[in-house]
Amino acid sequence: MAQFFPKGQVMGFIFSLVLTVAAMLVYFLDMSFGMGMAVLIITAFLQATLQLVVFMHAGESEDKWAIYINVVYGIVIALMTVFGSLLIFNWDM
Amino acid sequence: MEFFERFAIPHPSFLIYVAMASMIIGAIVIVAGITYLKKWGYLWREWITTVDHKKIGIMYLIVALLMLFRGGIDAVMLRYQLAMPENTFLDSQHYNEVFTTHGIVMILFMAMPFIIFFFNFLVPLQIGARDVAFPRLNSLSFWLFFMGMGLFNISFVIGGSPDAGWTSYFPLAGNEFSTSVGTNYYMISLQIAGLGTLMTGINFMTTIFRMRAPGMTLMRMPMFTWSALIANVIIVFAFPVLTVALAMGTLDRLAGTQFFTTDNGGMDMLWANLFWVWGHPEVYILILPAFGLFSEIIPVFARRNLYGYTSMVWSMIIISVFSFGVWTHHFFTMGQGALTNSVFSITTMAIAVPTGVKIFNWLFTLYKGKIEMTTPMLYSMLFIPLFTLGGVTGVMLAMSAADYQYHNSMFLVAHFHNVIIPGVVYAMLAGLTFYWPKLFGFMLNEKIGKATAWIMSIGFVLSFIPMYITGLDGQPRRGYTYSEASGYGTLNMVAFIGAMIMSVSFLMLVYNIYYSFRNSPRDIGDDPWDARSLEWATNTPIPEYNFAVLPQIKSREAFWDHKYGGKDKDLFAGQKIERIHMPNKSGVPFIMNVFFFVLGFCLVFSMYIPAIIAFVGVLACMAHRSFEDDHGFYFEVEEIEEIEREKRGAIK
Amino acid sequence: MAHVDTSKPLEYQTEEGRLKILGFWIFLGAEIMLFATLFTCYFVMEGRTGNGPTGAEIFEIGPVLIETFVLLTSSFTIGLAIHAMRLGAKKATINFMIVTLLLGAVFLGVEIYEFYHYAHIGAGITVSGFTSTLLTTLGTHGLHVTFGLFWGTAIILQIAKRGLNNVTANKAFIFSLYWHFLDVVWIFIFSFIYLKGML
Repeated sequence: MAQFFPKGQVMGFIFSLVLTVAAMLVYFLDMSFGMGMAVLIITAFLQATLQLVVFMHAGESEDKWAIYINVVYGIVIALMTVFGSLLIFNWDM
Repeated sequence: MEFFERFAIPHPSFLIYVAMASMIIGAIVIVAGITYLKKWGYLWREWITTVDHKKIGIMYLIVALLMLFRGGIDAVMLRYQLAMPENTFLDSQHYNEVFTTHGIVMILFMAMPFIIFFFNFLVPLQIGARDVAFPRLNSLSFWLFFMGMGLFNISFVIGGSPDAGWTSYFPLAGNEFSTSVGTNYYMISLQIAGLGTLMTGINFMTTIFRMRAPGMTLMRMPMFTWSALIANVIIVFAFPVLTVALAMGTLDRLAGTQFFTTDNGGMDMLWANLFWVWGHPEVYILILPAFGLFSEIIPVFARRNLYGYTSMVWSMIIISVFSFGVWTHHFFTMGQGALTNSVFSITTMAIAVPTGVKIFNWLFTLYKGKIEMTTPMLYSMLFIPLFTLGGVTGVMLAMSAADYQYHNSMFLVAHFHNVIIPGVVYAMLAGLTFYWPKLFGFMLNEKIGKATAWIMSIGFVLSFIPMYITGLDGQPRRGYTYSEASGYGTLNMVAFIGAMIMSVSFLMLVYNIYYSFRNSPRDIGDDPWDARSLEWATNTPIPEYNFAVLPQIKSREAFWDHKYGGKDKDLFAGQKIERIHMPNKSGVPFIMNVFFFVLGFCLVFSMYIPAIIAFVGVLACMAHRSFEDDHGFYFEVEEIEEIEREKRGAIK
Repeated sequence: MAHVDTSKPLEYQTEEGRLKILGFWIFLGAEIMLFATLFTCYFVMEGRTGNGPTGAEIFEIGPVLIETFVLLTSSFTIGLAIHAMRLGAKKATINFMIVTLLLGAVFLGVEIYEFYHYAHIGAGITVSGFTSTLLTTLGTHGLHVTFGLFWGTAIILQIAKRGLNNVTANKAFIFSLYWHFLDVVWIFIFSFIYLKGML
């Protein structure tokens, strides 16, 4: 049975649970908005990286550069869109 | 009877009845013709079910040319309406419908399929591949696009055309101000066609990343393939934005949500924002492959390597990122603060720099070249000055403070036609003339071709330069008429004359195809232009598997080096023919998209029960695909040898 | 099926399989942008509640926590399914996939309850700019999960019938990418919609 639970993935799962609990503290500890957002941004991006590398095996094939560039490009464009729109509508209108 | 009333045109006129009659007659003639010639089986076997990238490409080309004429007729109607002050040829409602459909048809159903035709036809050949990565998906993409196009085009005879501009800004496009189903057509047909384009993007990115011939590194790819890669990257990341925007627009219109409404917290400007987050990268999706084509054509007829290959590549990569960071320049006057406008002004001016780099590279390629002024080259030479003019007026528009003067004026209309026509349309026509012999085995007549290019350019200058002037004088865009006292009359008449001259040039293009089909010699060989890249190393007509043996690439201009004894003189040498695995034909993509069409049509008219049934049909086709066990087929060695002997191909 | 490279895991053995995996990653790039657009809209519309309720008024931590832990666990089990697949254990693969889909169904059940609850307390999709965007963003994720349930079932049936071969393994692997991706999206929804809304 043990061979079906590889150590890397079990550790990854535990770590992702820890990150989720850390994010939840934002709610249960009544943090300030700035502090809370900082915690959320860190935990969310760590969590995403964890899924990408540990569970999705992004770096295992010969196409890993194409895959990483694709994902990073997507994230850059996504952030440009999010922050550009926030600038237009929320921060400067 | 009440059920059928919804399909009536809300605002009919003589012209629409003429169009309706001609559409019905056209459809009857086509159906009768195919039946009479007993071609239904041929059509189904060879075209509708095909997964061959070359044939799918040709189908895109046919749609693009048809739409060029549909959009062109719209354009002539618009110019005729404006030729004289207070003209009554079109009333305001019809004018709105015509400029809306002109924009959408030209951008999404003419320019897009035209460049996708070039992707399909050229990319696998240029990288030495036998098909695209996902041939079946390619067929699905085409039929999605085709059904979206079909749905859009029936709007003006069933239920009414969209009439809120090709940008379809809310709240104008909302239920309150656009009461007919026209805008539903816009939302849903673009959604269906857009899904097809997104899949094309994924398909070609994968193809270019993984299916290059041995030895062809990224930095040895032909420039058109590079431009196709970058354009497809932009497609993959831009089209989802359109998907979301259209879905929200559809929900607003059909389900009463509050995204773009003006009360209950809705934000109408969010539509403009999303539209241009997609819309600006879309501009680069169109222009980069056009640049790629010019980069193929200019070296061939200057008899020199492309100058600055590396800088060409990097300028496109930079454009691909920047193109997502300039969208606000489409609505500088919307009400955001000066900081935002300044940021986007600067990014907009910055993106002109890599484009300028490319212009200089073409000029340096020409420098000391042995220039041969063929038709494709003539288009390229006309493109450089005319496009630069459009680019410079673009930088004028990029200055946000000055933009308050130009915004929504004819100046803007002149600017974007000035980049799209010499940029995209000239590239498409140059590319079409250039690749015509590879496509159909004969050349287009050079004399008629060159005359076409000149007449088109004269017509272009006469149509659009006056618009710069009337625009600066204050003539607004999308106004269906103007008073005599405004003084716009003379220049608008000049623009109409220009439009007529351009129409003549497009008719000459058609005549050229007919004339050359009748008169051109057929023994032109595989490489009539003495060209440089791999697509010319194939036999004409190209066998289904493209290359009997895969080329071994050692340099950037493999085929040129192969012909003239450079590094690649052993391009095909010393390789044994092996059996070739090819994908099977399939009718499922077509059938699935018939369901998609029905689904879209029912949603347009809010008929939800048939829509659900059609959606189940779509899902059933997907399930069929999942469970199907399809291993393709093989061309056996003897078969290949026989085909090659007949064509005098790899084994000579 | 020419050129089977047996030195690689089953799902990578054919060129067709490798193409599909890369193609799916590129599709996920498009999905990043799809959800980024939804988040963009959400951030713009968050405060535009009109006469309707605000996020802080309607969010409840209970169902959200259940959804989060259920989906995280399902992401773990689909990872185990792929691990079992690489060990060649057909039965374990199928079992882990069934557990994944069951967890997905639980998630969906809670989400449907949540939607029902929102509609009940006057926060339906047509109430305000905020509720429209909130429910569309959640709904898009929910539709992805729903689609995944059908897709996963189809793959389980194929593995059960045809065994683990380079076609079915490839499909299962791609499905696992999809499922992990939905988990990542949920983490962002959980952090930047719910927790941010309750800060």
